Amino acid sequence: MIAIASSAGLWWTILRTSLEERLAYRADFALGTLMRFLPIVTQILLWKAIFEAAGEKEIAGFQYKDMVAYYLIVMISRALSSMPTLASSITLQIRNGDIKKFLIQPVDMIGFLLLMRVAWKLVYYIVAIGPFALVFYLCRGFFDGWPDAATMLAFITSLAMAFLLGFFLEVTIGMIGFWFLEVSSLLFIYMVLNFLLSGHMFPLALLPDSIEPWVRALPLQFLAGFPTEVFLGNVTGEAMLRGLWTQFMWVVFFLATSRIAYHYGVKRYSAFGG
Amino acid sequence: MAIIEIEQLTKNYRVYRKKEGLLASVRGLVHRQYQSVPAVRGVDLQVEQGQFVAFLGPNGAGKTTTLKLLSGVIHPTTGTARVMGYVPWKRSIAYRRRFALVMGQKNQLWWDLPAQESFRLHQKIYQIDHRQFQKTLNELTDLLELGPLLGQPVRELSLGERMRMELVAALLHSPEVLFLDEPTIGLDVVAQHNIQEFLRHYQQLRKITILLTSHYMKDVAALCKRVVIIANGQIMYDGSLSDIINRFGGHKVVTFQLNGDRMPDLSQFGQVLESIVPRVKLRIDRQNVTTTLSHVLAKYTVEDVAVEDPPLEQVIADIFSTASENSREPA
Amino acid sequence: MRRSKSTHPSYLAVLATFARNSLVRDMTFRGNFLIECVTSLAWMTMNLYFYMLIFQFTQEIGSDTGWSKFPFLVFLATTMLVNSLVQTFIMPNAAEFSELIRMGNLDFALLKPIDTQFLISFQKIQWSSLSNFFFGAALLAYSLARLNHVPGVIEVVLYPVYIVTGVAIMYSLMICLAATSVWMGRNQTLYDFWFYITTFSRYPIEIYKGGLGRPFMIGFTFVVPILIVANVPARFLAKPLQKGEWYLAGYAAIATIASLYVSRQIFRKALVGYRSASS
Repeated sequence: MIAIASSAGLWWTILRTSLEERLAYRADFALGTLMRFLPIVTQILLWKAIFEAAGEKEIAGFQYKDMVAYYLIVMISRALSSMPTLASSITLQIRNGDIKKFLIQPVDMIGFLLLMRVAWKLVYYIVAIGPFALVFYLCRGFFDGWPDAATMLAFITSLAMAFLLGFFLEVTIGMIGFWFLEVSSLLFIYMVLNFLLSGHMFPLALLPDSIEPWVRALPLQFLAGFPTEVFLGNVTGEAMLRGLWTQFMWVVFFLATSRIAYHYGVKRYSAFGG
Repeated sequence: MAIIEIEQLTKNYRVYRKKEGLLASVRGLVHRQYQSVPAVRGVDLQVEQGQFVAFLGPNGAGKTTTLKLLSGVIHPTTGTARVMGYVPWKRSIAYRRRFALVMGQKNQLWWDLPAQESFRLHQKIYQIDHRQFQKTLNELTDLLELGPLLGQPVRELSLGERMRMELVAALLHSPEVLFLDEPTIGLDVVAQHNIQEFLRHYQQLRKITILLTSHYMKDVAALCKRVVIIANGQIMYDGSLSDIINRFGGHKVVTFQLNGDRMPDLSQFGQVLESIVPRVKLRIDRQNVTTTLSHVLAKYTVEDVAVEDPPLEQVIADIFSTASENSREPA
Repeated sequence: MRRSKSTHPSYLAVLATFARNSLVRDMTFRGNFLIECVTSLAWMTMNLYFYMLIFQFTQEIGSDTGWSKFPFLVFLATTMLVNSLVQTFIMPNAAEFSELIRMGNLDFALLKPIDTQFLISFQKIQWSSLSNFFFGAALLAYSLARLNHVPGVIEVVLYPVYIVTGVAIMYSLMICLAATSVWMGRNQTLYDFWFYITTFSRYPIEIYKGGLGRPFMIGFTFVVPILIVANVPARFLAKPLQKGEWYLAGYAAIATIASLYVSRQIFRKALVGYRSASS
């Protein structure tokens, strides 16, 4: 009980100090959150021009306003599933020996990191909820109203899993630091592929039919594209349930790989001395 | 005309006061409280050409700020200064070519490249004639024993070697005025000694004017005849090292070597610093020294007596702590 | 007292030394160099792919704008050329400058008898970003060959000139932003701000219309003239320049000079307010 209480206390302190730190640089903070929405402006304008010239009402199943709605929602998805500096900080800790504290103390490293990330994400959302709400209010014309309760539930579930998937995926990459010194190149590749193939840069539906199934086979779509498609009703019913199940399996898969990698990584690390 | 003239130089900083706690941080979003912190308060100073002057003072005394003002790096709030006739913060190109600033534990050399690449850049920027450059470089590297290290990336050098390289970089353009801000900080005793020796030799050779700030008494005692003590942004003392003791050392350390196994209790004469058979060491106020001596000599059999000044570090430390006590008093 | 030259050093010689030093440094970290080349090329390829996808669904970007596939690729190539130059010469110094101010380490730069803005603007060159430049040049050649019209001699000569003015405008913006570190403290946001603002410059000016677009068009043409950066040179080559459009070229020249002037003033103000770090 005491352990739980003390870690809860620790967790609250982390949360509070993160918030304080954010607020300490007030000019930074006010600008920063609003600025994340600037690219939406260009997306709105660009797609308007594209649809205008295309003359069609629909492109790959999207109407103009659906396209804009897609980009808005994918921002939420992406904000949840992106784990900045997670993999690189793990490899840094391995490289400079800081990892030893996890090996000596009875603290589960992956669990600890997960809690930290949850705290950070919470802080981010608490602090950003104002600007987010403002932007969505201004853009409400692009949406067809709120989705029904079932869809909302599916969406939120999918978002939660996107968070976990992003987390365990990057932890697994970070674990490679136990075997190779330079992980940054791998990380770059991951980031590039992520942007391109997760649905973040453009809806995966735009891809030609010969390529789309291959890209959908990857876990990356579940970080950004899939939750968004759930929200917008682009994937419904049985297909949606299958998708959620696949997403879940990917989470389990990467949870397992991160734990296995950690286990063997620690063994190797101790064998070679730190 | 003095080479450095400072009159009523003042520098105040605006500092944002942050209060603890979450609520205060939120409030800080809307309303910030500033405070004006004085770093240098009305400093007056004159330095003649060829002098080697030390600035001594505790942390936050204003020594580094003064040097930065004289280098033109920051602008003063009020007051004037002239170095070689130039106003430093006007930062004329001509002025910048004639002085140098070295800061302890701070590097201007490119980290990943050998020092000689940085020196070459220096040559271009300072427009040093090629032959003069080679000659000066060789002289300096000989004096500082850096020859084989010129081709090594700076990040591979030890702290002491890096500081010596910094000195080379600073002196390549043969400045007439040299500002040194804690040049030996963080170095081991041998490295400190080397740099002190070099500075002494170089100054005697070139007769340039040097202003040195330091915490370390050894730097000061070895190199400077003139010491300026700064505390709380103000000059507390300006004169020779030996005079400090006369002025501020209000007591002497008297050591008696007595005959016999019995150690008398001499605490009535002063503070007993040490009492190990057969010696007693006492700290006695200046004015009481003669009377104490006559009393003890009359009463006890004294084999030997020594009357010494208190250690310089102690005197200076006392000056610093008095100054900080004074600063803590309500304005 | 010794006579001292009050003349400035040879900026060309100093620049050459900067270039050389940066190259030597980049070559000692060859692995990193390659990774940087590859990743920036990867980003460029992704962007290109995105637009290739778009052109499967439409013939033009915006009705009657003239930005059909190959003219638009000329535009895209132009953005790549400008951005690669910015990333090679300007970005490494901007990041460094902000750090210098933040840590109070600008002191050493201030001591040198050389124009401080020049020193901090050019001391580092990121050679790996030139890979983008070659990519952009290749794309340009590819799309120029497939245009419906042939650009005139004047347009071809003015193109590189306006690439340089585009870079100069971006440079001025960067200096202004970096200089504000002196007053505004920590600056990750400014760096992000720069990134977001410059993405606006990567689209044809024609998309900035309507209730949402017009304010941006006006703001980014007349207040912070980033829309000039890629649009003007690209139009020279991609579309036959109408009579009425030459004023745009003239305006671009004026905007460049004004930007450089304003950024220099802000820079000088920043130096006066510089606080340095405590010892």
